[in-house]
Amino acid sequence: MIKDILSGGVVIAVAGLYYLGTGQILHSSLEDAVGADGLPRILAAVLAGLGVLLILRSLLTSRRKTAGEATADNGDYRASLPRALGLLAVAGGYALVAPVIGYLPAIALLIAAVAIYEGMRPSWPLAVTAVGGAVGFWLFFVWLLGVEQPRSIFF
Amino acid sequence: MEQFAQALTMLVSTPIVPVAILGLIWGIIGGALPGISASITMALILPLTYTMEPVNAIVLLGSVYIGAEYGGSIPAILIRTPGTNSAAATVIDGYEMKRQGRAGEALGISLWSGVIGSLFGLALLVLLTAPLANVALAFTPMSYFALGILGLSIIASLSGGSLLKGMIAATAGVMIATVGSDPISGLGRFTFGLPELIAGIKPILIMVGLFAVSELMRQSGSKGLDSTIPEVVRIKLPNFKMMRKIGKAQGIGCVVGTFEGLMPGGGGSIAAFLSYNEAKRWSRYRHEFGRGSPEGIAAPEASNNTVASTSLIPLLSFGIPGSNSAAVLLGGLLIHGLQPGPRLFEKNVDVVLGLYMGSFIATMAQLLVGVLILPLCIWLVNRPRPYLAAFILALVLSGTYTINGSTVDLAIVLFTGFVGYLMVLTKFPFLPAILGVVMGPIVESNYRRSLLLSGGDHGIFFEDAIAVGLLIASAVFLVISVVREVREARAAEHEAKTA
Repeated sequence: MIKDILSGGVVIAVAGLYYLGTGQILHSSLEDAVGADGLPRILAAVLAGLGVLLILRSLLTSRRKTAGEATADNGDYRASLPRALGLLAVAGGYALVAPVIGYLPAIALLIAAVAIYEGMRPSWPLAVTAVGGAVGFWLFFVWLLGVEQPRSIFF
Repeated sequence: MEQFAQALTMLVSTPIVPVAILGLIWGIIGGALPGISASITMALILPLTYTMEPVNAIVLLGSVYIGAEYGGSIPAILIRTPGTNSAAATVIDGYEMKRQGRAGEALGISLWSGVIGSLFGLALLVLLTAPLANVALAFTPMSYFALGILGLSIIASLSGGSLLKGMIAATAGVMIATVGSDPISGLGRFTFGLPELIAGIKPILIMVGLFAVSELMRQSGSKGLDSTIPEVVRIKLPNFKMMRKIGKAQGIGCVVGTFEGLMPGGGGSIAAFLSYNEAKRWSRYRHEFGRGSPEGIAAPEASNNTVASTSLIPLLSFGIPGSNSAAVLLGGLLIHGLQPGPRLFEKNVDVVLGLYMGSFIATMAQLLVGVLILPLCIWLVNRPRPYLAAFILALVLSGTYTINGSTVDLAIVLFTGFVGYLMVLTKFPFLPAILGVVMGPIVESNYRRSLLLSGGDHGIFFEDAIAVGLLIASAVFLVISVVREVREARAAEHEAKTA
């Protein structure tokens, strides 16, 4: 239930930030009665209200919850946040590095980095797989489809 | 009869058979790539049609559309990532079946239901084009607003047991949809000065982030990736008993797909969710939904494949594209100077007949091509998990970049993945959020257009018969769902007390 109370707090905070954002929306002399900020303001209010309801519901039901149910709540998703964030950081690293070194080396590094992060030992087969995979991706997206992918600033 | 003979002549005098099969293969592969929707798959091949004969060009694009609708279900079932928007509903039970070691069965049901849906839609396309298109023509902005509300009203049954959390997720989804240009005045909203956000956030980015990235994070975060490699699964097309079991769900999918395809803006994703909801409502095996129900795959797959054909009815008859993919097909027609409408049937009947024949060939070939390509997908699932995670992430990021060629899209997908991961931890459902993203613009733009028409008078919504009917249906759905949730909560509480 703590999770729901925290979630409710986050929801209210998001609603507040979103509402503040509506203040940045410009007004036009041609706009309709609702206006560009009309729906966003309603949505912010609705979301805040739902957040309050979530907190209230959590407080009301927390007394009725048994210890067994609380354990079941965690289910299979008792995840390690730092580890998950690590994977996200690797992906974010690709987004930052690809426009600098280019698609082909960046995607090879991404494949190798994720595979190692997920438990593969650094080895020659891993390197070959990463490079081969990168070439495969390049052939498919860039050569075959002619789709633009990040280009290196060096070459 | 004369047209039938002309169509048969085309089979031998033009290369529409190989063109249709090539288009189908391309569509399945493109649809199966996370981040590349059916419309993008079609758009990628659109430049190639410049030099083709008009008939072949339209057959190619139509076949890609059919293939992509099926292809989208492959990653939805195998890696919990819908390859296309309309395959999002297939994730629910498809991935559950895969987790239960029934991936081959799930893929077989998807393939079979897709063929049923395609054939049904194609029959309607051929037989009822002009009469049924009148339904779509009768829609006003008020009707579209009511349609959007109807779409959002099914949130309750997609909320995984918490209507409140579902409503929060849906509201957040509509909020995401408000990013970009205001649909009426064109003023920028929540763009933070980034030109990449002016056109808004595409739903496919939210789907890829929520489904793919968050799932990769979850698998990495829990116990590392599963160490057991799943056994090789044989594709299992449904037997007679299974066909009977999923028949009603397929029928529901076909009917829902028909109407959603006819309504511009409806599209395959809404049809899939609606048909899933209705199949669950009318099923004798309702308890199986969300836990690996074959009907939970059959309904959305039949539905979105029906839409692939029926969305072409208003397009061909009146030039109104019922979906993004239909819009790309419209682009293909315009490239060759073909104007949709009654004159198309008079002056370029060969193109229309070619599209019908090509779509039929692609649909029938789907059973063979689909079976041939599926083992490749199962092979992919059986690769070592670290490699699979690495290649999926590489595919997701590469596919995402192809949408707009922008690193901002990569940031959106990764951020959405992080939010999705938190949603998993706190048991917030994804699907209402996606529905909000898809339906938000339809609801807002048509609500405001209606008020512009009435000078701000909300009474206009009660003057439109279709809108009134849809709004009443929405209210009924919502009330039934709330009552059901309250009953289930009480039953669960009672069970806990007696246990």
